[in-house]
Amino acid sequence: MKKKRKEQKELSGIMSRRALMLGLGQALLGGVLVARLYDLQISQNASYKRLSDRNQFDQRLVQAPRGRLFDAQGRLLAGNSEIFELLVVPSRVDDLDQLLTHIGQIVPLRPIDIKRAKKTISRQPDFLEVTIRSNLSQRELARLAILSPVLEGVSFQKSFRRIYPQGWLTSHLTGYVSPANERDVKNNSELRFLPSSRIGRTGIERMLETNLRGLSGVERVEVNARGKPVRVLRDKQEQAGNDVTLSVDVGAQFFAAERLRRGISETMPLEHNSVQAALMQNDELRAHVSTGDNLVLKDGNGRLVPPESGAIVVMDVNNGDVRVMVSNPGFDPNLFSNPLSVRDWKRLNEHPRTPLLNRVISGLYAPGSTFKMVVVAAALEAGVISTKTRYECTGGFDFGDTTFHCWNKRGHGTIDVVQALEQSCDVYFYQIALKTGIDRIHNMALRLGLGDVTGIDLPGEKQGIIPKRSWKLDSRGAVWTPGETVIAGIGQGFVLTTPLQLAVMTARIANGKYAVTPRLQSDDKPVEFAPLEISPAIIRVLQKGMRAVTSGSRGTARRHDIKGDGMAGKTGTVQVKRISKEQREKGIVDNIDRPWKERDHALFVGYAPFETPRYAISVVVEHGGSGSSMAAPIAKDIMSYVLKQDVA
Amino acid sequence: MIGVLRFMLRLPWMLLLATLALVFVGSSALYSASQGSWSPWAEQHLIRAAMGAVIIAVMTFLPARWLFKWSYIGLLGALCFLIILQLIGFGTGATRWIAIAGFNFQPSEPAKLAVILALARYLSEQTPEQLQEFVVYIPAIALVGVPFGLVLIQPDLGTSLMLLAGGLTVIFAAGVPRRYIFGAVIAGLASLPVLWSQLYDYQKARVMTFLNPDADQLGAGYQIAQSKIALGSGGLFGKGFLMGSQSQLNYLPEKQTDFVFTMIGEEFGFIGNVAILIIYFIILTSIILIALRCENRFARLSCMGVSMMIFLYMFVNVAMVTGLMPVVGAPLPLISYGGTAMLTVFAGIGIVVNASINSHIEDSDYL
Repeated sequence: MKKKRKEQKELSGIMSRRALMLGLGQALLGGVLVARLYDLQISQNASYKRLSDRNQFDQRLVQAPRGRLFDAQGRLLAGNSEIFELLVVPSRVDDLDQLLTHIGQIVPLRPIDIKRAKKTISRQPDFLEVTIRSNLSQRELARLAILSPVLEGVSFQKSFRRIYPQGWLTSHLTGYVSPANERDVKNNSELRFLPSSRIGRTGIERMLETNLRGLSGVERVEVNARGKPVRVLRDKQEQAGNDVTLSVDVGAQFFAAERLRRGISETMPLEHNSVQAALMQNDELRAHVSTGDNLVLKDGNGRLVPPESGAIVVMDVNNGDVRVMVSNPGFDPNLFSNPLSVRDWKRLNEHPRTPLLNRVISGLYAPGSTFKMVVVAAALEAGVISTKTRYECTGGFDFGDTTFHCWNKRGHGTIDVVQALEQSCDVYFYQIALKTGIDRIHNMALRLGLGDVTGIDLPGEKQGIIPKRSWKLDSRGAVWTPGETVIAGIGQGFVLTTPLQLAVMTARIANGKYAVTPRLQSDDKPVEFAPLEISPAIIRVLQKGMRAVTSGSRGTARRHDIKGDGMAGKTGTVQVKRISKEQREKGIVDNIDRPWKERDHALFVGYAPFETPRYAISVVVEHGGSGSSMAAPIAKDIMSYVLKQDVA
Repeated sequence: MIGVLRFMLRLPWMLLLATLALVFVGSSALYSASQGSWSPWAEQHLIRAAMGAVIIAVMTFLPARWLFKWSYIGLLGALCFLIILQLIGFGTGATRWIAIAGFNFQPSEPAKLAVILALARYLSEQTPEQLQEFVVYIPAIALVGVPFGLVLIQPDLGTSLMLLAGGLTVIFAAGVPRRYIFGAVIAGLASLPVLWSQLYDYQKARVMTFLNPDADQLGAGYQIAQSKIALGSGGLFGKGFLMGSQSQLNYLPEKQTDFVFTMIGEEFGFIGNVAILIIYFIILTSIILIALRCENRFARLSCMGVSMMIFLYMFVNVAMVTGLMPVVGAPLPLISYGGTAMLTVFAGIGIVVNASINSHIEDSDYL
């Protein structure tokens, strides 16, 4: 028993010794690891660091060219030009400032380039390439390439720059691309290694971003012991983005844009003394000319003014193809392809006429008298009037304690619905709007395409406002008043629409059967639209009234019909500023004599040919005076051009 | 109340805190491995750590006898799994995994623990005189030899050698007489040529690559070459969190599993690597101190086995990524992404915690 105890004690001692031996062994081997780490990380650090630097150039991503955009005739709207980029890897450079000065002596470097590069460097790991200049010419490339053995950390890469040969003309259609920002990189980490890649920000570029971008390739650069490239192996071929053909026609687009810009004024050469003098005083004119646009107009009063601003849409009434989409002023989308300079950004942002806004889909305007077709259709459908119903216009309509005036102070006499459209008699519409009620007008407006996005393939489309009773209660917390219905009857008050919506409305009236929607990408596939579900009798009244506008003896656009084909349409003159009673008694000041911002908007919607409708057009000239004098002639010229083009 | 407090005081806090520290290091490293994102690895790692905490908690409250009693059954179960694996398992090039209830599970990992526990029981049941006799060691060799053979034919040379080393450690710690140790060493050296002829080609290639890594930079030597570049370029303080070019540009292979130590070395340098080794040192020291404190041989031997298991994982991994050993595929315990190995380490720590709490129990209490 005693012996056993002793033996056990002895064993316990042996076990403790062995445990300590094992612990010691572990500690010794651990020491070996520390020694190894010391050797690798401290003693041989410098040589491994070099190897690590060299590694980064082993493999790199190759940017795929972005898909191109074409117009209906195959003309290039957005393409890629080959450029060479100058890249620097900060971790391989001893003295960045010295290097940049050195490079600056060989090729021009703007202070902004340097500032931007330094900002990028401070934001990302220093082993990533940074673009110093992204648009080297062949000559500059050659000069730098000769010196490249002494420029440590500098490399060149072929890449692409997005170009828009049509410039401002299609700026709102194509939109623009700009360098990837931090959020883009977060969503797609590949972009970190593609410093020259661009992301679509607006227009088609943004809408079809994933389609246009393509798939990047991978190449491996074999380097020798001194880190110089020996040969390039392509591991994965890059895949270009898809090309896209749009339904617009650049020829018609150019004609329409120039026609809108000129308006009804005389053009003045920029060199003219009076223009130069005006530039000194007129801020607005200067802002306009500084964007690189040379068109200066002389208005009816002899003042020098910038081109008209506004929007034009021409669309096919059968398949919805948009042929023309102009928003003026535009901008040069090429400016954004390279990082935008502060000066250019300021110019665009501070421009009094917001060139970045695509007025066609995002500009909101009261439709004015172009809304009258909606009111007629709603009234006829509700049965509150018939084609024979006549009202007398004496120049004003007394309602409660206010008087709603007709645009024609002398009145239109007793007229029926077609005559009311022809002469755009406000009093007639005050009365039928009241009888129909706002909710029924709202319903009809929505069926004709107003008050909701049209669904065109562009980002940023506005809904507009078509009021109804519950809308006012929900949005303003107030009850709808009958007076507001009266005002809505002539498309003013709360009613707001986009020029595109007005074109859609006109296309649907012209089509008569289907609720046409607009599109920019025309494929040859037949389109199917929902039925319009408005009785053909009502459509006929609208078409007859619109035809009378251009062909009737008292039509508001009687001087602007298209001979032969015949155009139907409707003018609109939208009051921007309320006219007070005193002003009215003193006599209303002519548009031309008011400050630009207070003049009426000029609108026109129409379609042609009258018998076999093909195109619908909508024209908005901001503060352009009146629909009949300004918008109608523009619409007539553009529509004639488009129709003639079709024949040819 | 006092009872709870006294119980809390008996818990091995140093060990638990060091374990927690490694889990934290692991999640940050995995966060970096996915270029600064919680998914797919860091999040999973934390979930598994939570599961590990449950395992430790459960094992803390198990009666001391329980592990002793079930150790043979445990080994039997592990053997069954290893045999099933031969029949239905999968893996790239080798059959190492089986799927159970949607989880992929690597039976060779828990087998290491089962061998340790079974050996600890067998040897602690022998009287001191019996331990002097050679025949006593034949069943012990079989207890480690059979699972070793089953893992070797998967084939998984690295794990099988680690399993063997763990088992031999337990036999050594149990007090095997010195004369047998010398005999075993001589026998082992003599059998090396035979073993070599039994290796698969890729295993031979790895060993050859290890002996001359520069000969084959883009093949088998690629991983080690890139790993050394990453570590070496890290320097004293590293390139900074998420700034390791080797790791972030994907030159480093398997940076979430076997090469996680390399990535930490690139981003946090020598300081970071040594700090991790110090945490392991704290864990291993705590376990050996607990082993020394235990009054029964079963607990002592299982603690020593666990300590060697964790040490081997760590040592093989670090030696591999620093180019001191051939690439064998060993995770860095509690830091590498990988469920089975991590949970096995947690179970091992659970065994130690249990031993620590029951350190006063004597051999005779088990009988």
